[in-house]
Amino acid sequence: MKIHQEAKKHLIEYETRRHFLKQCTTGIGMMAMGSFLNSCGINNVSADALANAQNPLSPKNSPLLGKAKAVIYIHCAGAPSQLEMFDYKPELQKMDGQPCPQSFLEGKKFAFIRGVPNMLGAQSKFSQVGNSGAWLSDKLPHLQTVADEISFLKAMHTDQFNHAPAQLLMHTGSPRLGRPAMGAWVTYGLGSENQNLPGYVVLASGGQNPDAGKSAWGSGFLPSVYQGVQCRSEGDPVLYITDPEGMSRDLRKSSIEAINKINQKQYEEFHDPETIARISQYEMAFKMQTSVPEVMDIKNEPKYIHEMYGTELGKESFANNCILARKLVENGVRYVQLFDWGWDFHGNVKENSLDFELSNKCRQTDKATAALLQDLKQRGLLEDTLVVWGGEFGRTPMQENREGRPQQYKGRDHHTEAFTVWMAGGGVRKGYTHGETDPIGYAGISGRTSTYDLQATILHTLGFDHEKFTYPFQGRDFRLTDVHGKVIKEVLG
Amino acid sequence: MNINKLLIWGSALAVTGFSIYSLSGYGDEVDYSTQVKPILNRSCIKCHGGVKKQGGFSLLFREEALGKTVSGKPAIIPGDPEHSDFIARLTHKDPEERMPYQAEPLSQEEIDLLIKWVKQGANWGEHWAFTSPEMPSVPNKTFFAGFTDWFSSKWEKNDIDYFVSHKLEKENLKHSAQAEKGTLLRRVCLDLTGLPPTEQQLTDFLNDKSVNAYEKAVDKLLASPQYGERWAGMWLDLARYSDTKGYERDDVRSIWKYRDYVIDAFNQNMPYNQFIKEQLAGDLLPNPTDNQLIATGFHRNTMTNDEGGTDNEEFRTAAVLDRTNTTWEVLQGTTFSCIQCHSHPYDPFRHEDYYKYTAFFNNTRDEDSFGDYPNLRLFAKDDAAKVENIKNWIQKNSSLQKANEYNKFLKTWQPTYNSLTCDEFVKSELSDTKFLGIQNTGSARLKNVDLNGKNQMVIRYMAWKVGGTLSIHLDKIDGPILLATKIDTTKGFQSKLVNFKPINGIHNLYFRATNPALKGSTDYTALFDWFGFLSEFPAKNNPEHDLMQKEFWRLANMSTDVTLIMDENPANLFRKSHVFERGGWTAKGKEVQPDIPALFGGLPKGLPKNRLGLATWIGSEQNPLTARVAVNRFWEQIFGIGLVETMEDFGTQGFTPSNPELLDYLSIKFMKEYNWQPKPLLKEIVMSATYQQDSKVTPEMLEKDPANRFFARGARIRLSAEQVRDQALLVSGVLSNKMYGKSVMPYQPEGIWRIPYSGASWKLSEGEDQFRRALYTYWRRSSPYPSMMTFDGTSREICLARRLRTNTPLQALTTLNDPVYVECARYFAKRIDKEKTDINGQIRKGYYLAMSKEITNDKLLILNNLYQKSLQGFKKKPNDAMKFLGFCPDNTLPKNMADLAAKTMVAMTILNLDEFVMKE
Repeated sequence: MKIHQEAKKHLIEYETRRHFLKQCTTGIGMMAMGSFLNSCGINNVSADALANAQNPLSPKNSPLLGKAKAVIYIHCAGAPSQLEMFDYKPELQKMDGQPCPQSFLEGKKFAFIRGVPNMLGAQSKFSQVGNSGAWLSDKLPHLQTVADEISFLKAMHTDQFNHAPAQLLMHTGSPRLGRPAMGAWVTYGLGSENQNLPGYVVLASGGQNPDAGKSAWGSGFLPSVYQGVQCRSEGDPVLYITDPEGMSRDLRKSSIEAINKINQKQYEEFHDPETIARISQYEMAFKMQTSVPEVMDIKNEPKYIHEMYGTELGKESFANNCILARKLVENGVRYVQLFDWGWDFHGNVKENSLDFELSNKCRQTDKATAALLQDLKQRGLLEDTLVVWGGEFGRTPMQENREGRPQQYKGRDHHTEAFTVWMAGGGVRKGYTHGETDPIGYAGISGRTSTYDLQATILHTLGFDHEKFTYPFQGRDFRLTDVHGKVIKEVLG
Repeated sequence: MNINKLLIWGSALAVTGFSIYSLSGYGDEVDYSTQVKPILNRSCIKCHGGVKKQGGFSLLFREEALGKTVSGKPAIIPGDPEHSDFIARLTHKDPEERMPYQAEPLSQEEIDLLIKWVKQGANWGEHWAFTSPEMPSVPNKTFFAGFTDWFSSKWEKNDIDYFVSHKLEKENLKHSAQAEKGTLLRRVCLDLTGLPPTEQQLTDFLNDKSVNAYEKAVDKLLASPQYGERWAGMWLDLARYSDTKGYERDDVRSIWKYRDYVIDAFNQNMPYNQFIKEQLAGDLLPNPTDNQLIATGFHRNTMTNDEGGTDNEEFRTAAVLDRTNTTWEVLQGTTFSCIQCHSHPYDPFRHEDYYKYTAFFNNTRDEDSFGDYPNLRLFAKDDAAKVENIKNWIQKNSSLQKANEYNKFLKTWQPTYNSLTCDEFVKSELSDTKFLGIQNTGSARLKNVDLNGKNQMVIRYMAWKVGGTLSIHLDKIDGPILLATKIDTTKGFQSKLVNFKPINGIHNLYFRATNPALKGSTDYTALFDWFGFLSEFPAKNNPEHDLMQKEFWRLANMSTDVTLIMDENPANLFRKSHVFERGGWTAKGKEVQPDIPALFGGLPKGLPKNRLGLATWIGSEQNPLTARVAVNRFWEQIFGIGLVETMEDFGTQGFTPSNPELLDYLSIKFMKEYNWQPKPLLKEIVMSATYQQDSKVTPEMLEKDPANRFFARGARIRLSAEQVRDQALLVSGVLSNKMYGKSVMPYQPEGIWRIPYSGASWKLSEGEDQFRRALYTYWRRSSPYPSMMTFDGTSREICLARRLRTNTPLQALTTLNDPVYVECARYFAKRIDKEKTDINGQIRKGYYLAMSKEITNDKLLILNNLYQKSLQGFKKKPNDAMKFLGFCPDNTLPKNMADLAAKTMVAMTILNLDEFVMKE
């Protein structure tokens, strides 16, 4: 183990240097300005070292050997229906329209179901695909083509049945507010490979932010540098990244030079290390002003890539965010979180019905999701990029009967006992299905995995032992998985 | 001289002799708290403490440590280290047996110490913070100090300095010289009022050559209304104040009156213990004033969950637990939240203590209702007078008791029953888990309604379809009818008053509704918000009766602004409190009564076992934590680091105080001499020589004390998020000094609020409201004002006792490009442009306004070069200059745009300097 760690450390050091050189000479990192610190009389080495020591996002080693270096987490906010998309249940089809057996209702609590609801068969057809023979919905024709890259977790469960708390649990390990999100933990533990971009980026589509709001990518008790930075589709991709109107880049450069020269004088008088940190932050801000819009601009992607993903230029779309996710990871961003809003298929109105709207949501996302896997693969990035797809909980095998009444459209209530999450890349086993639910898809009967298990596994692929990856706060060592979680060894390649 | 020396030695001895922190030498009694406990905490408690009890052995409490372990005998035998397994295991040869398990062994010194400790009887001791402070004598201060200091050139200006210099001596550090006059004024202005000095303040101070010029300036700052705003800013973080409810929908909430209360409390120099009492239990004070009710908003700042399908009791419980956690974190500096699930891992608190304490908060009327009830209804002046008039009339013509009943109902709509507490639904349900909705021929039950002396019912409801009726049955679905009434249609929620024949007792009421027009439909006959019960309106035979009753009803039903308050449950709605097994709210264990942790010996006799008793104890001298935690927080706000660095944790896992004697000295003075008033305490701090030191750092200081824990230099720290904004507005001359009122919405980019199921939008405030202090900016929990968050503001979902200061590129981007700051730069440029001098004179002026000191020539040259370069650039591109200057509010385009644009570049640069965002 020790030798492995040593080797890993050297590798990372080498890669960091390589990145550093790359950034200094070509590509994104090359800026007209050069490093101000180096040109203003501070000893080069110590200034760099100082700035690096001050920079909480400089790349770090994980304690163990991890196969994944970056994460793209696709969260379908609202909780997609596993029974229409992944969990094929012919038995449920047979029970369609029959009253739900009492045994499923006794002692249970649902968000909206009252009294005795009817069972609801899948509102889609399924096929077995690929060499692995995974059952996938015909609503996901593109994902069907890449099923052999994927490990499905069919028996996921959670203990929160409302959106906001369940999303928080999924991403922060606690249904209550105030804990750091997984991306914050990961950037805290690994830093970022590209200092000209935020280490943890959040992209939202579907017109709304997820129910849990910004807390789903907050830094909790970790320092705020680790919180996710939401990049936006309209306006500035990162808030205030654009210079004021009428200010040329040249003038901006002059003004930052002036700020840093004066700050340098200030440092010489007060010797406060904080001033040195500020000088480097202003440099970094200047670089980000070019690198962020550059990476967020997908216009220059080749036509075939646009077609592959099904992008819609100039709009906020899931497909656009998938290309962005690939570009961000390619440029060294550690954790990219995608949220797509609009998966809450209750069926109380047409806009959230399984019989009408689900097809639309699948059409909007299926192609791009599959394209993301293919694109990462063709660039050799899939090996060390973990892609995770899921919602915050599942949907009931029963049809929702909100407030005890039958509904005009087909829909399902929130369900904690069973849902599907899938993972691909980052050293995860290919073409594998883990866990199984009972014949009507109500609950897992084998290979049950919890939100904590998923988190433990994600951390594991990145080289962290989730039980040892802690942060002291309020008198105790906190961890993402609290006191729970077991790595799902079966899905590791 | 000799006598002096003797006196110095005498007092120094007195300090060590009486100080509870003194380390006993190895020859003496081993001190548990300072010598043993740190070893146990570091090496043992993780497996043998509140969370885990490996081998049945725990070191948290003495009786546990001496109790039998799974081996059948105790691990520690007092007086007999040879037979104590606890000792034997420290040096065991088998690595599986040797403790600490799979970790470095203890040093021989430590083992010897533990042996000695067991030999001496394994005595326990209290952690310093859980023992009352004792007044230490001031080190090195002679009896004649006050007199002789006058003539000597002593550095010490007041007692704080004696403690500090004593410590510096021990740490081999030297104090720094006094800061420059202008820098000092800027520092003290920022510290006391959150704003830098105005030009006038600065000129007055620099021209005042009197000996007490500084003290005069301090007194003025303490008396200015901006003082209250600055300290309210600090408190609102602790109170997790916000203008929205939190959670998914994060809807609007109206509680800004509480913010204004906090500002006033600080400005009035309200004693801190009174401040605590009003906030925790203002409603339980005898005849509470409106302000005392508003104060209880402190613990109504907990979140409410409006998401459909959420269990109201779950989120009511979450709010109650948050009150316990926040009370401890804010007022007691103790991490109590971890004993929600188990006994404290390190500190002597038991699992049960948590729930006893929580029981104090478990009987308030709030029930996670959509209306955020209970509220105080805020009447405009005229109507407020009428409310008062009705109260007086009832008191005159009936009784005080009746006057209070009616007055309370008018002002708070309490006591009422939220419809969300109904059950036994038949063709009815809680719509969106918020309001009771009954279909045609449906019914529901409301439990435990106190009907004693009542003969009127108030129903707040909404109905759309004509033809509905409601009947209420006593104790059974088909029980005797209490009342029956038509359900009139309404516009939104309205109240209706129905009389019934009085019947005494506590009853379950069955609500049955019909509307033949809705036959076969699942629509509601009505949607109910709450039900209230009143006694007969008094003085029936008085000629004014009808008029008064009519006026009462008008006022009761009118819509008003509101603010959230606390109100205690009446007896019939009393909730039992339980231990939650392993912290889960559904796993109710043993029932508990309200009490403070056993460690503190129970609530003192004579205090009621309710929130008022609790608040009184917290604000009393018997409480070892309150004053220390408060003093430490004030100190931290001034120096950037507390005397106890972990402000949120005074327990055994927190940092030990850097200067414990000073902390206790100030705490006792705060309580006894200053009667808990913050102003004299703050004055003492800022009048000290310690405070007035220069903030330059020498390599020696950086090495010996990088965080400035011992105060050998003045504080140099980044301004808070609020200060960053307020300062930029003030320096550019646009800051509004308007105080109080609803929160405002200054410029925010489009598309920041994207919150599901919420129609709320950011509506730009007009006129001076765009330039109010940060304190008044609308605070939405799920999407707080971006620049505040960038500068380490908190989302205020839960209390965060300490903001960490970060330094990020996003901060640079904010002050460089956020249109708010760009606009400030434009105004600032205009301000300096008015100066009738050359460009150098104008830059000098700008720098002086921003930093309160003269610019040095090298910095002037840098800014002048920037000006020249910008001027050339803008001259070549006049369109750029026009765009860069933006829209001018006064609608006149400047004559020399290139010049003004270049000055704006200079102004923007000044607003971004390190020395500007730092307090020096």
